[in-house]
Amino acid sequence: MRTIDYLFGSPEMASLFWPAVVVGVLVALLCAVLSPLVVLKRMSFIGQGVSHAAFGGVGLAMALGLGAGSAGDWQVVAVVGLSCVAAALGIAVLNDRQGVNADTAIGIVLVTAMAAGFLLIEHAAGVMRARGETPGFGIESVLFGSMLGVRWGDVALAAAVVVGELGVLWWWRRRLVFWAFDEVGAASGGIGTAGVRTMLLVLLALAVVVTMRLAGVVLVTAFLVLPGATALRCSTKLWRVVGLSAVQGVVGVVLGLVVSFELDWQPGPAIVLSQVGIYAGVCAAGAVKRRGAVE
Amino acid sequence: MKTSADQPETATAAIEFARVSHTYNGSGFPTIRDISLRVEPGERLGILGPNGAGKTTLVRVALGLLVPSSGSVTVFGRAPAEARAARWIGYVPQRSVAELAFPLSVQQVVAMPTGVGMKPWKRPGVRAQEAVSRALALTGCGGFADLPIGRVSGGQLQRAMIARALAAEPRLLVLDEPTIGIDATGQQQFAKMLSLVQEELGVTVVIVTHDLRTIAAGCDRVACLHGSLHAHVSPEGLTPAVLAEVFRHEVEGIFGSVHIDAHTAAECDDPTHDHGHAPTDGCGGEGGIRADD
Repeated sequence: MRTIDYLFGSPEMASLFWPAVVVGVLVALLCAVLSPLVVLKRMSFIGQGVSHAAFGGVGLAMALGLGAGSAGDWQVVAVVGLSCVAAALGIAVLNDRQGVNADTAIGIVLVTAMAAGFLLIEHAAGVMRARGETPGFGIESVLFGSMLGVRWGDVALAAAVVVGELGVLWWWRRRLVFWAFDEVGAASGGIGTAGVRTMLLVLLALAVVVTMRLAGVVLVTAFLVLPGATALRCSTKLWRVVGLSAVQGVVGVVLGLVVSFELDWQPGPAIVLSQVGIYAGVCAAGAVKRRGAVE
Repeated sequence: MKTSADQPETATAAIEFARVSHTYNGSGFPTIRDISLRVEPGERLGILGPNGAGKTTLVRVALGLLVPSSGSVTVFGRAPAEARAARWIGYVPQRSVAELAFPLSVQQVVAMPTGVGMKPWKRPGVRAQEAVSRALALTGCGGFADLPIGRVSGGQLQRAMIARALAAEPRLLVLDEPTIGIDATGQQQFAKMLSLVQEELGVTVVIVTHDLRTIAAGCDRVACLHGSLHAHVSPEGLTPAVLAEVFRHEVEGIFGSVHIDAHTAAECDDPTHDHGHAPTDGCGGEGGIRADD
């Protein structure tokens, strides 16, 4: 099996692939904990808008000549992170203060980031080629993720973000749940709802930043949607849903990485299809169970 | 139950609107105009008006979610935002606001306010748990407290939302269209439940609705709103003339199963009778508005 060879065959191979596995598990856990909120608050399209802002951020970082073209560089990560947070806050401002419909606001941010990102990446790659340098990565890896580009530095960043975000989520859990269930009721109950929503948007943006390296900006939304959607089909108890979502997220990533190793697929699509497979399996099992109950 | 008549003049009002107007940004005209209204502690006030009359705006001003363009509002002597932060206000929005797909039991929903402001590592104490149990019992939610919130009926959901508001032990309970979609029997049960809640907890209740039957079932007074305050009377003082002024072209559609006594209607058609903006004791008489039994 290639999986065993890649992970345990030699120290060189292990140092190449283990970071991707560890990052995958960490970001899957984080996204899966956020996922029920994203699904229940119908924020999946916001995740899509924020993740595409990362594409613009990568373009901006490359155009600025940061990180010598490597997205693993901290400077690039900072620019991408700021782009995602700015996009999340931009969506909130357009929606809240300018009276723009949420879907429209997200659509505007999404296409702007994609168009600007594409042009900036092309421009930066052209400049590098003219200087006789090879760009560190292509547009395809930004869009659909890359396993070989994940390094131990990314692991440290992912671990810090995951621990920090899970801590914030635990600290604010009661306010978050109240707000997510009933914004108006929460506001009348003394909760600063604008602050809670902004905080969640920032958490989503940072989760996207640490996930996009592996999954790519196009597929990162799957990490934020599929685990929660699956878990909500399995239970009507909130904390059990969060636990099941975490399990689905981690299992989906591990399964996807194994598929990716064995079939030599890109990790992003392999992980997403694994998660879709689990979701479809749960739906099918539910249908069989309901049919059995009727008979 | 306490009524305005039982309160000394100097008592702090539960809510006091003083010449309040509000105009939304971009709108050329005020949604509510020059509203002056005093709600006494322990009272049950109905605010009646058709869609677009400014009822929700008035509620949002009272909750401190909107700042009035002019005039002032106090809730138990404090600014509404302060009262809200102190959790003196329990608000029950229209049911469509909540995300009912949430995997929460009725009991978890009712207990939500007790965790707000609590240190994250602490669990709700005995007093909070008692408040939740009392709220569930008073609103009749005990029998379905373990059901998922998305699986209860419309009437049960409404009671659960009221229980949630009561669990925070508020001094003022504001109900926005509380009986929408509930039949006449359910409305009578709802009125009885509110009476029990007020008797046990002494909470002031403000009901905002376009449904005349909700007002007729147990409110001490009613304020009729259509941009400005058209009348401020007892439910018996809601005459066809008053309603025609408030609802204009909607009069025929709102009567439903409510009867209006012709004798009282004729008596209250007197223009000197209860059409001013100042609080009054209503038209009096024996007829007026009452809900079907």
